[in-house]
Amino acid sequence: MPGLPLRVTGLRLQLGSVPTVDLAELALEPGTLTVLFGPSGAGKSTLLYLLSGLLVPDEGSVFWGGTDLAALGERQRDRWRGTQAGFVFQNFHLIDELTPLDNVRVTTLFAPRGAAGGKARARELLEQLRVPLDRSRTALLSRGEQQRVAIARALLGDPPVLFADEPTASLDRAAGQQVAKILRDAATIDGRTVVAASHDPDVVALADTVVTLDHGQPASIRSGVPA
Amino acid sequence: MNPLPIVWANLRRNPFTTVLFVGVVALAVALGIAISAQERALRQGSARAADRFDLIVAAPGSPTDVLLSVVYLDPTAVELLPPDVSAGVLNHPRAAIAAPIGFGDNIEGDPVVGTISAFVEHLSGGLADGRPFTAINEAVVGALSPHAIGETLHVAHGEGSFGGADADAAADSLDHDHDHADDHDEAEHAHGDHADLVVVGRMQPTGTPWDRAVVVPIEYNWLAHDLPIGHAAGETRIGPPFDPAALPGVPAIVVKPVDVATAYGLRGEYRTAQSTAFFPAEVLVELYAVLGDVARVMSALTFAAQALVIAAILAGVVAILDLQRQRFAVLRALGAPPAFVFATAWLYVAFIVVVGSAIGLLLGWAAAGLVSQLVAGETGVAMSASIGATEVGLVLAIVATGLVLATLPALLIYRRPVVHGLRQ
Repeated sequence: MPGLPLRVTGLRLQLGSVPTVDLAELALEPGTLTVLFGPSGAGKSTLLYLLSGLLVPDEGSVFWGGTDLAALGERQRDRWRGTQAGFVFQNFHLIDELTPLDNVRVTTLFAPRGAAGGKARARELLEQLRVPLDRSRTALLSRGEQQRVAIARALLGDPPVLFADEPTASLDRAAGQQVAKILRDAATIDGRTVVAASHDPDVVALADTVVTLDHGQPASIRSGVPA
Repeated sequence: MNPLPIVWANLRRNPFTTVLFVGVVALAVALGIAISAQERALRQGSARAADRFDLIVAAPGSPTDVLLSVVYLDPTAVELLPPDVSAGVLNHPRAAIAAPIGFGDNIEGDPVVGTISAFVEHLSGGLADGRPFTAINEAVVGALSPHAIGETLHVAHGEGSFGGADADAAADSLDHDHDHADDHDEAEHAHGDHADLVVVGRMQPTGTPWDRAVVVPIEYNWLAHDLPIGHAAGETRIGPPFDPAALPGVPAIVVKPVDVATAYGLRGEYRTAQSTAFFPAEVLVELYAVLGDVARVMSALTFAAQALVIAAILAGVVAILDLQRQRFAVLRALGAPPAFVFATAWLYVAFIVVVGSAIGLLLGWAAAGLVSQLVAGETGVAMSASIGATEVGLVLAIVATGLVLATLPALLIYRRPVVHGLRQ
């Protein structure tokens, strides 16, 4: 999983009369945790979707190594996300009717053969994240456990990039801190490029870079050693 | 790419709705199948029932009424063939069997039919048990008749009962004066005493209402109605040849000609002002044409109903899939290609249509079988509803239509922006 940096240049997206995202430059390095910070409506999630190729900017580029994700077609962006990126959501978005193990393995249903990781790897991830494996339905897990299943799902293919959209917003403080630590480890220990949209101080405190957004524009970009 | 686990999860997410949709499709399909299968069973059963009635000669009038009376033993009043015409048919040299048919009596609701023993054996393909009747007070019962061989039967004549007279009295009355009875018809019975019957044989199943009949010598039937009994005074034998001078009019004569050419010859010969002759198939074809028109109208209505059901289900499916659009958006965010989402949504609808149609096929077959049993019990005409190429074709058409229409909700889901779903 040797990661490549994600680099943003001249990124601009306008969904209404006012630019939703307007970002001149940003570099996200492997082995770092970057937090997109700001109040609701600041454009955190929109920027995350632009970085992950779910949205295409009106202008500008998102480079993954030498590849401009913004210039790729929809199918190629799907493939890039399927092979190079993992996604964690605020509300987990697990499939309640499946077991935790099957939820982790859900990307194997559509990923290229061998790209998404096997059953043993899924089990190992759940054990590492201390998720009970004996539940017949994911809905029977606690919310913190469900988010850890979602993280395991995102990590199954061993992707070099991990996106997280408000990963702790639906959790209590203790569970949120656990998730924040997992994201930090994914960057530090695994060397992934981790990008999280969050307004959780516990996540911000662990970040290498904090991009504070205000109406889609960076009010400040703070880099430094996490606390 | 394997969307089936997601499809299965989606089906389990709303189990009641899934069962409801499958049930509605099944009922719509079953309706079409039942109508189609039952209509064919009715045709086949009625045609099979008329198989052994090669040519029917009767008085001018409605061939349908005669057919219903003779083959299906429907108690319809029919005109009588004049005695001289009857004599000509009954003693025709080119008729292998010429069987007069007489009605009017019943035993506990089951019809008593008068004819000759040769026709009984022809109709039955040989008796299952016992022997043919050889005396005027003997009877052969149909395969489904509750009466046993050796049992004595009291005959009810028309609406009234004629029990009580014994066989000797019946035999004595063979000397009856016949001259006054020529102008009788079925509606004007001259009720008289007649003998009890003794069951001597049982027919093989024929798949016709004759299976419940008590078949007696035609002479018994004539005698019961105070008619001449077809033989010279003092003669005690039964069956052909009949004495033209002692014949009454008869409702109908079933003729088995010696060959096909004779059949057509007799048919032409007796299509006169005094008589009519027809092959049962001719009448059935006309009836089937009417039946077919009705069936076509019903099929069209059924198909329209099925189309409406499928449209309603698609609308419901669109609503359900819309509720699941966040799930599809998440799959896209995790890297699922649009084709995977399309396949997942399409298979969801396809499952409902295919499983519903398969259950509908079985339900329709069962319903047609049940209706066939009820109709057979009511009419005595044996019917067996079966699933044929028509029904399979109907189901395949519904499935194909459903699968094509299933692309609509799948396309709607497929085209929905991912981010909109994620932000739901």
